[in-house]
Amino acid sequence: MASEPDRALVERMMGGDERALAEVYDRHGGPAYSLALAIVGERADAEEVVADAFGQVWRTAAQFDPSRGSVAAWLATITRTRALDLLRSRRRRARALERAARADTDGLAAPLGAADAPDRGVQRQDARRLVTRSLAELPEPQRRVIELAYFGGLTQTEIAAELQEPLGTVKTRMRAGMEKLRGSLAGLLAGGEA
Amino acid sequence: MTDHRWLELAAPYALGAMAPAERAGFEAHLAECATCRSDVQSFRDVVGLLGHAAPAAAPPSGVRERILRDARRARPLGTRRRVLPWIAAAAAVVLALAAGYGYWSARVAQTALRTALDSARVRLDSANQLVTAILDSTVGTADLAATGKPPSMRLFWNRARNVIVVAAFELPPAPAGRTYQLWAIKKGQAPVSVGTFNTPPSGRAVITLRMPAGFKPDLSAVTEEPAGGSPQPTQQPFLVGAWQGG
Repeated sequence: MASEPDRALVERMMGGDERALAEVYDRHGGPAYSLALAIVGERADAEEVVADAFGQVWRTAAQFDPSRGSVAAWLATITRTRALDLLRSRRRRARALERAARADTDGLAAPLGAADAPDRGVQRQDARRLVTRSLAELPEPQRRVIELAYFGGLTQTEIAAELQEPLGTVKTRMRAGMEKLRGSLAGLLAGGEA
Repeated sequence: MTDHRWLELAAPYALGAMAPAERAGFEAHLAECATCRSDVQSFRDVVGLLGHAAPAAAPPSGVRERILRDARRARPLGTRRRVLPWIAAAAAVVLALAAGYGYWSARVAQTALRTALDSARVRLDSANQLVTAILDSTVGTADLAATGKPPSMRLFWNRARNVIVVAAFELPPAPAGRTYQLWAIKKGQAPVSVGTFNTPPSGRAVITLRMPAGFKPDLSAVTEEPAGGSPQPTQQPFLVGAWQGG
């Protein structure tokens, strides 16, 4: 892996070191873009989201709190929040949930294809494989509600309406699916590196 | 103890999938329930990994350049970077003088140093005001959230100056179009608004508000309200605490 830990790069960013930002982007820009694209669906929008997210990371590096998770998890949270903001504002205009519905048939947790962008580091490849497999192993209805919440930004009420299922069913599935994920990802979480 | 109703909520809360009305109630419960707090944290860790499930895609090559270009225009916020230019400027002065580098470069460095000193002085003044406000003998305090975190708030009310210093911990920013509102409550009377506030993404904030003159509340509470605040609370408070001392 790279010699300098992510955390040290964030420290350097607080001092205004642009090379540290460049290095953080080189390590995490690919996954951030992949996540943004999975949520917003359009390449131009995903690019916008990633640029915004790294801008926020740059300006608020001092607020990174290592006790609450890894730099990768922090970046994923910021990217997801930005992407969902964009998705929601678009949705408010369109009043349409087409993409969320489409996400189901496309299968967001599809296995990685051969044409996938090369990733840095074996650990990340392992994390990708394990997360993708853990999601794929969930019963379809459980995976679906988690994906609609994570990638679609839908609340449980909205998911129930979207799937035309009772709210209680959605709640139970989400809880059960998340508990299974917590179990299957325990090794990754204990390692602290994601 | 922890009943089934709460147990179902940690996962949707961590996923951000909870309806706003439900969320306020759960956050109030979280303040008092360590079991649910650790449950939420463990699901947050899971949520932090879910991004890995996105199909891999390579960003267009222009993004990197754009990010670095934007970064050159906006310096990072925070304490560290303010100290560094100061040290750099001071070092420049010493070097310039010692090496006899010349009047001009010393002048430039001096200007930089003066600017750094001025802005340090402004920050010191506001820090001093804050310390003075909360160390006065008339200060009463209130801890909002019974067992501490998260989220929690500590209030310092300087009765002599009618100023309330609000310190918020692990309180995520209010959703778009919403704000937090602090209330002062005298038992048996309608809550009185102290003011509205919000927090940065870090969830940590120190805000100064003014207590309505002559009002002596028993409790304070926080609700989430539409932007601009409400004349009276429109929901159950998610943080409540009693005033002590002063």
